[in-house]
Amino acid sequence: MKQLVQINVNGTEHELAVKPSATLLDLLRDQLKLTGAKRGCELGDCGACTVLMDGKSVNSCLVLAVEADGKNITTIESLADGEELHPIQRAFIEKGAIQCGYCTPGMILRTKSFLDQNPDPKADEIKEALTGNLCRCTGYSKIFEAVETVVDYLKGKETEKIKFQLQKSARDLSVVGKRLPKIDAPDKATGRAIYTDDITLPNMIYGKLLLSPVPHAKIKSISTEKARLLPGVKIILTGADVTDISYGTSPPRYDENVLAKDKVRYVGDVVAAVAAIDEETCYQAIKSIEVEYEELSAVFDPIEAMKDGAPRLFDDKYENNINTRVDHHFGDTEKGFAEADHIREERFVGNRTYQNPIEPHVAIAEWDRHGRVTLYTSTQVVHYVHHQLSRILDLPLGNIRVIMTNCGGGFGAKAATNMLEILSILLAKKSGCPVKMRFNREEMYLYGRGRHKQYIDLKIGVKKDGTITAVKQNAILEGGAYSSFGIVSTYYAGSMLPTLYNIPNYKYDGYRVNTNLPPCGAMRGHGTPHPRFAFESLLSMIADDIGMDHIDIRLKNAMQPETRTCNDLDIHSCELTACLEKVRKRSSWNEKKGKLPPGRGIGIGCGGFVSGAGYPIYRSKFPHSNATIKVQEDGSKAVLFVGDADIGQGSDTVLAQAAAEAMGITLERMSVVSADSDLTPLGFGAYSSRVTLMGGNASKMAGEEVRNQVLKSAAEIMELDESKLTVSNNKVLEIDNPENYIPWEKAAEAHFSTKGPLVGKGHYSPPEGLGGTYKGAAVGTSPAFSFSASVCEVEVDMETGKVKVLDFWDAHDCGTAINPMAVEGQVEGAVVMGLSETLFEDEVFDKNGKLLNADLHNYLIATSAETPRIDSTIVDSYESEGPFGAKEVGEGATLPVLGAIANAVDDAIGVRIKELPITPEKILDAINEKEKK
Amino acid sequence: MYLKDFTYHKPQNLEEACKILEQSKNGAVIAGGTDILVEIKKGLRYNDNIISLMAIEELRVIDEDTDALHIGSGVTHNEVKNSSLIIKKFPAIVEAASKIGTDQIRNTGTIGGNLCTGASCCDMAPVLISHNASVEISSSTKQRIVSVKDFFIFHKKTSLKRGEIMTKIIVPKVNSSTGYCFEKFGLREAASISVASLSVMIKVVNNNCADSCVVIGAVAPTPKISIKASEVLYGIDISKLSKNSSVLRKAGEAAEADSLPLDDIRGTAYFRRNTVKVLAQRAILKAVIRASNLKI
Repeated sequence: MKQLVQINVNGTEHELAVKPSATLLDLLRDQLKLTGAKRGCELGDCGACTVLMDGKSVNSCLVLAVEADGKNITTIESLADGEELHPIQRAFIEKGAIQCGYCTPGMILRTKSFLDQNPDPKADEIKEALTGNLCRCTGYSKIFEAVETVVDYLKGKETEKIKFQLQKSARDLSVVGKRLPKIDAPDKATGRAIYTDDITLPNMIYGKLLLSPVPHAKIKSISTEKARLLPGVKIILTGADVTDISYGTSPPRYDENVLAKDKVRYVGDVVAAVAAIDEETCYQAIKSIEVEYEELSAVFDPIEAMKDGAPRLFDDKYENNINTRVDHHFGDTEKGFAEADHIREERFVGNRTYQNPIEPHVAIAEWDRHGRVTLYTSTQVVHYVHHQLSRILDLPLGNIRVIMTNCGGGFGAKAATNMLEILSILLAKKSGCPVKMRFNREEMYLYGRGRHKQYIDLKIGVKKDGTITAVKQNAILEGGAYSSFGIVSTYYAGSMLPTLYNIPNYKYDGYRVNTNLPPCGAMRGHGTPHPRFAFESLLSMIADDIGMDHIDIRLKNAMQPETRTCNDLDIHSCELTACLEKVRKRSSWNEKKGKLPPGRGIGIGCGGFVSGAGYPIYRSKFPHSNATIKVQEDGSKAVLFVGDADIGQGSDTVLAQAAAEAMGITLERMSVVSADSDLTPLGFGAYSSRVTLMGGNASKMAGEEVRNQVLKSAAEIMELDESKLTVSNNKVLEIDNPENYIPWEKAAEAHFSTKGPLVGKGHYSPPEGLGGTYKGAAVGTSPAFSFSASVCEVEVDMETGKVKVLDFWDAHDCGTAINPMAVEGQVEGAVVMGLSETLFEDEVFDKNGKLLNADLHNYLIATSAETPRIDSTIVDSYESEGPFGAKEVGEGATLPVLGAIANAVDDAIGVRIKELPITPEKILDAINEKEKK
Repeated sequence: MYLKDFTYHKPQNLEEACKILEQSKNGAVIAGGTDILVEIKKGLRYNDNIISLMAIEELRVIDEDTDALHIGSGVTHNEVKNSSLIIKKFPAIVEAASKIGTDQIRNTGTIGGNLCTGASCCDMAPVLISHNASVEISSSTKQRIVSVKDFFIFHKKTSLKRGEIMTKIIVPKVNSSTGYCFEKFGLREAASISVASLSVMIKVVNNNCADSCVVIGAVAPTPKISIKASEVLYGIDISKLSKNSSVLRKAGEAAEADSLPLDDIRGTAYFRRNTVKVLAQRAILKAVIRASNLKI
C-alpha cells in the first residue's frame, strides 16, 4: 500500500504517494523526473546516486523513500543558481574533472557536503572524502585539482592559469593543442546530460532477462504459462520465438543466439526475456518461468578444457574447445636464441577483470507505424550495432535508427551489440510499446566481455649488451562461453609485442579456449596488457641477470621511427626513446633505482597501442570515419555531425577542435551531434583507440571543405585572389597583410546567400594494404602507433603485504595532443584503472561457475584513496598520418602500468610476482618463500 | 534490482516498535538500512514488515552519566565520528567508526545496525568489547543488558530474540591510565570489509600492564577476546615492549593462535592469521603509548 511522504526537494515541497519499497532514488528519478542522480550499482557501493539529505551526502539507492519523509533533499539540479554555475561545477568543468559524467552529479554533491563541513581541507582529506564516489574514467587526479580550485574560488581567489609548454607541432595552431574544457562538461556538471536510463517514453514498458542458473545444460523444456498469467506481464520470449540467425562480434565466430536455443553454456546465459509494466513485475514473471535443464559436465579451466575428453561447449565446432588458434613465426627464433648470450623463460598469469563502467548498459526500443525502429542505447559503436541489428532483424539499415545518448563509460564493455539492444526491439515489436531494458550490476558482470585471463609462457633471448635476439610467446586465453571479440584478442595478444622494441625473430602461439564462464571480450588495451605485463616483467628480470639498468635495456631495444616490425607492422612516428629519457629524469630514476630502503621500490614499464584498427570488424569498403559540417546561414556557428562516439573520453571536443582549426573558427562556435545513425554519417565508433586519428581526419577534412568555400566567398568580397587569403580565429585575412580581414561569418553568410547551404564533408580510411599477407596479419595494423613509458614508485608493507602506489611519472607519445588536458585525463584514468587491475581486481567463481563477486562490494576497484601522485607529460611528436599530427592515447596509456607496478614491487621486496593481481597475500607468500631459501 | 514490497511502520516510540515487531510474522527492524536493504535487494532475505526506528528520538542520543557513555543504537557512524564527547574520551571508538564504509554509508548506517547484523567482520565490535561495553536490549515486556562480547553468538547470529530491539550501547568510562587502539586491515585503503581487525586495551600502572584485553575481528565466527594474547600482556613491564621485542611477538602469535578464520574471497585463513598477528603488535604498541601519555 502506498504511503504519503512530505518531502522538500530542492526547495520545493512535495506530497507524494510512494510504495514502501521505493527508494529515494526511485522517487527522485521516476516520480519527480530528476534524473541527475544516477543508478550505478544500486547497492551503495558506487555513489553515483549521491544526494544530500538535510545537507549530508547519502546513497539515495539505500534510503527508502518513506524514510525521507520530512527531509530536505538537494539534488544536482538545484546546485546552479539559474545561469550561474556553482563554484564546484565551474571548477569541475574547467579542470577537466569530468569525462563520461556518470559519477559527476554524485561526486559534485559529495564535494559540496564535504566542503560545507571542511572548507579548507588538506590534500589527504580530499582523497579520503571522495572514497564513496567511484569514478572509472578520470583517475580522480583532476577531481582533486577541481576540489582544490573550489577552495580557492570560495575564498575569492582565482587560480593561476596552468603554465604548460605548447608542443612544437601545436605552436602555429589556434584551437588544436590547447587545454580546453570539454564542450559537454557543463551539461554533465548540472545533471542535464541525458543518458539512456534517463529517458522515459510515453506508454513505455520494461524488459528483463531470465539467466541460466547452471553452467552447462541442455534445455529440456521451458514453461511460461504461469508467468504469462501474472498481471502486468505483456510478452515473454524464449529461444523458440526468436530468429535462428546467430550473431557475435567477429564474423568468423558468430556463435551467440539471441536467446538460448537448446543449450546454456554458463551461469548467466540468456534463456528468456520478459516485458511487463514495470521491472518488479518482470522479476516476478522471471521467477515463474519453469525451465527443465539436463545438466552437462562443465569446464572452467582453459588448460583442462583443451584436454581430450573434456566437456565441449560446442559440438559442431571448436575442437578441444579451442576457439581460436594462432601460429605465427617471424624471422628465425631458433637462430635468434642461438645467437643470444642469455635466455630466460618464465610463466606469467593474468587475471579475469571486468571493465565496470559506472553506467550500466541500457537500451530503449520504439517502433513507429512505418516499420522503422529507433533504438536508444549506451554503446561505443553505433554503426556495429546498426549493422548487426540489420542482419538479425533482416531489415535494411534505413529502417533502423540507432542513437547513442550520453554514454557513462565503456572501456570495451559496450563495444559490441548486446542482447538488450536486440531483445528490447523484439519485445517492443510484439507488445506495440516502447521497451526499456537495463542490466543491473550483477547482470553486467554476467554479460561479461571483460579481459581474458591469460597464461603466458614467455622467453626472451638477449646479447650481453641487452640487444634482443629472439622472443617466443605461448599464450592461452581463457575465453568464457562465447567468442565475442576473442579471435581478435588472441591475435592482438601476439601481434602487439614487436611494436615497442626491435624484435628480429618472434614466435607466437596463441590459443583461445572456451570455458563455461561469462564470455571475455575487449577491455582497454584489448588482449595486450597481459603479454605486455609479462614482457616488461621479464625484460627487467633479464636486465638484472645481465647487470643492466632497466631503462638502459629498454633504450637499447627501443622502437625507432619508420620501422617495419618483424610481423609487418609499419611504425611511422615513434618517440619511445624520448619518453624513456623523460621519465628517467622526472622520476629521479638514477638517484632512486637500487638505492631505496627495503619496502620501497621503483619500476619502469613501457606501452603503446594502435591508433585505430587498420581494418573494420566486418568486411566493408566504407570509410572508417565520416563527418559533415553544416554552417548556420548567418555563419555564427558550425555543427559537426560525426558518427564516432564520445563515451567520456572527450572525442566530441577533440573532433570539434580539429574541425574548428581547419575552418579557422574558435571552439565556442562549434557544436557537435555525434553517434546517431539518422543524423550523422557512419563512424565505426569508440574502440581500438581510433577516434582521434580517424574521426579527427574526417572532421578536419570536412572543415577544410568548408574553409575552401569560405575562402572563395571571401575572395570575392575582398577582391583578392583566394591564394592570398587564409582563415584564423573567426577571420578571413590577407596572408601578407593580416590587418586586412573580414569576419569569418560574413564570408560564410555570403556563401549561403549566393550558393545555398554551406556544408563540408570528410571521410577517412586507413592506407590501403596495411600489414603483411599471412593469416591474421590484419590484426595489429594501424595507420599509427602510440608509445609511452611510465615509472612507478611504491611502498610495500613488508608485514602485511599491502602495496601503496606513491607516484607515477608517465611520458606519452600521442603525436600532437589535440587537447592536452584530455590527454592527461586519459593517462591519469589509465594509471588508476591499471593500478586497480594490477593490485585488486579478479573475478572469483565457485566450483559451479557462479561468479562470487559480481558487485562493487567484493570486486574491488580503486577509490580516490588509492590514487597516487601522477606526473603526466606529453613528448614532442608529429604523426603524418594523423590530424595535425595526432594519434591515440586512450588504451595505450594502460599498457605500461601493469609492468611498471610489478617491477616496482619487485624492487621493493626483492621477489618477483608473476601472477595478477599482485595481492598482499601473494606478496607475503613470496617474501616467506624467499626467506626460507 | 528491486525491493520486494513490504508493509512499512514508523512507530513513534520504543514500546510501539516492540509491539509491532512482536506481532509481525516476519518483521525486521530498519535503522540506516545500509545492510538490510542490500540483503533484500540481493534476494538474501525478505521481511513482510519493516519497522523503522527513525522516529524514535531516544535511540539517536549520545550522552553520558558518571559511569558510562551511552550511545543510542540509532546513532550513525558519522555521529559517533563527529561527537566531541566520544572524540575526547573514547578516541579508539572514533577510529573504528571512521573506518567503516564511506561517508555516504556512515551518514545513514548506525552503530546498532552494525552490531545487529552480527557479521564476524563487524568493525564496531572489537573496539566495544575491548571497552567492556554492553548493549541494552528491549522488548515489549522487559529490558536486558548483555555484554557486546556475549551478544555475538555466531556469524550473523546474535543474542537478539524475536521481538527484541537493541536500544543503546553502554561504554564504561575509561580509566585514566588505560590506552586503546583499533586497527583494521582491508584490501584497499577505503570502503573495504575487514580481512582482520583488532582492538587492544592496556592499563598501565607503575610501568606494568595492570589489565589488558585484545579483541580480534573477522578471524573467527564472531569477534572475540583473544584470551591468550591478553594474558601475554598482563603483568609485563611495558618498557620491554618495543617493536621487535619477544613479548610483542608472543602477544601477536597468541592473537593468531586464538583466531579461527576461514578461507574466503578476501583472503585465506593463513593470510588472515598472519594479518591478525601483525595488527596485534601494531595496536598494542599504540595502545601502550596512549596509556602512558594519559598517565602524564
